[in-house]
Amino acid sequence: MSVRKYRYWKETVFLIILAFFFLFPFGIVVLTSFRTQQDVVSGGVFALPNSLRWDNFPEAWRIGKFRVYYRNSLLVTLIKVPTGIFVAALAAYPLAKYRFRIRDSLFAFFLLGLGIPINIVLLPLTILLERIGLLNTLGALFFPYIVFGLPFQILVLRGFFRGIPDELIDAARIDGCAEFQTFWRIILPLATPAVLALFIIDFLATWNELLMALIFIHSDEWKTVPLGLMYFQGQFASSYPIINAGVLIAILPVLGVYILLQRYFVSGITAGALKE
Amino acid sequence: MMTKGLVRLQRLWSAYWLLLPALSIYVVFLLYPMVFSFLISLYQWDGLAPVKKFVGLENYRVFFSDPASLLALKNNIIWMLFMIAIPVALGLVLAVILNERVPGRTAFRAIFYSPTVLPLVAVGIIWSWIYNPTFGAVNSFFRLVGLPELTRPWLSDPKVALYSVILTGIWQGTGFPMLLFLAGLQTIPRELYEAAEIDGASRIQSFWYITIPSLRETFVIVVSILMIGSLKVFDLIYIMTWGGPGRLTQVMSTWMYFNTFVFHKAGFGSAIAWIITVASLGIAYPYIRAMSRR
Repeated sequence: MSVRKYRYWKETVFLIILAFFFLFPFGIVVLTSFRTQQDVVSGGVFALPNSLRWDNFPEAWRIGKFRVYYRNSLLVTLIKVPTGIFVAALAAYPLAKYRFRIRDSLFAFFLLGLGIPINIVLLPLTILLERIGLLNTLGALFFPYIVFGLPFQILVLRGFFRGIPDELIDAARIDGCAEFQTFWRIILPLATPAVLALFIIDFLATWNELLMALIFIHSDEWKTVPLGLMYFQGQFASSYPIINAGVLIAILPVLGVYILLQRYFVSGITAGALKE
Repeated sequence: MMTKGLVRLQRLWSAYWLLLPALSIYVVFLLYPMVFSFLISLYQWDGLAPVKKFVGLENYRVFFSDPASLLALKNNIIWMLFMIAIPVALGLVLAVILNERVPGRTAFRAIFYSPTVLPLVAVGIIWSWIYNPTFGAVNSFFRLVGLPELTRPWLSDPKVALYSVILTGIWQGTGFPMLLFLAGLQTIPRELYEAAEIDGASRIQSFWYITIPSLRETFVIVVSILMIGSLKVFDLIYIMTWGGPGRLTQVMSTWMYFNTFVFHKAGFGSAIAWIITVASLGIAYPYIRAMSRR
């Protein structure tokens, strides 16, 4: 037992030192966001705040127009994430359970998307979205976001569906279930753990996305949280406490989702990349 | 027999119906834009004017002879090398430690992974504040410990700007390989280690002769994903240095953005986008192959 304790002692010290460096930036953000500009400038970044200044948060929320950005990001994620996963599940089911000639090539074709960078679609989609009147609206983000989520989601869901025994599907068919009903009533409910993990992963990815929003959205009215935060920082660059309060406002939802749901999330990340 | 054939046919039909939404979104919003982008890359065009001038593969030739473009490529390769070497090594070490019954392992895992879930815009802003030349934490620290000669404008000093952003990338990007290695480690049977211990192998030997070889496939996947991610790096550079000072920290993705949407060289920008895509697909090939064979 004493040997074992000694073994972990070294490792624990290493972990604690590293954890300090990983938490340090968060600490700086929190520390700065509760102070006045005057206090930061005169007291230095490491000093404790003179007094906790909560006002920075409502002020950042108001002058940063975060109400608008939150609304937009929530709308995009709440509509896009379920739709995207549903479309991916529809495609993953035949790729996992049907036998037809081009199945494997079709699957490989979808997987190619894993290696295709967003850059390649930016200009063509700007032109296309302009033509169909979606540019500079939230709708502009909908399909491009779905496309870049599909490959990973199809990969994970196909893997999961393959683990479901064929007998279940055959039984449903004998009972007279149509193909879509089989999928909707039998297959999808069984895949709940995978679907849940994908929901969280896709929520984070969608909430955080910058590049496409930067190109497709110009007016303040439709900016998402990352895009809005970027402009907010550009405008108030030297008001450090306000900027840091804005950062906290922007990251609170992702940190919350991550901390509360990390158990499901971890299994999904690894399932997609590694496990059968 | 007749009905059985009919049922099979019906089933085949529904296979295509189920695939239809995904396929059509793919074709309209990915394949068609890719072809479109390639066509644009063959022209000299500002992205707006109705007239374009056909130049063939000239834009691609220019890329590989233009010093600013080659610098973006070189920076991207430096970024990639660092973003593979350090997060993989550190992620592996952390995974090996956290795979044991170390006290507080769940909390440590959450801490090391937490930067990965943040929006990169926020990460960039946080670290820009830390690197702030006047009030930032890094320079304040050096002044505090009596080493003022080490202070510098971390994001605008040509010698260190790229590496400052790389450090931010490492902070943000170590959790992901750690998580994949942890999952990989859990597939190695405990008995292997027990047998090695009985044979008198040290922990270091077990690590080199059992852990590393068993994680072969995980390594391929981790390195592929990190390389693809490195080629796509945009947000951190865009937020923290805007490609500067001058053009010294441009990478492929930001360079593509600036040419296409800021300098109005749509043809040239599209050529860069295609170069990134070809490189990325080349790198992704082993990963995609491994995944599609399952």
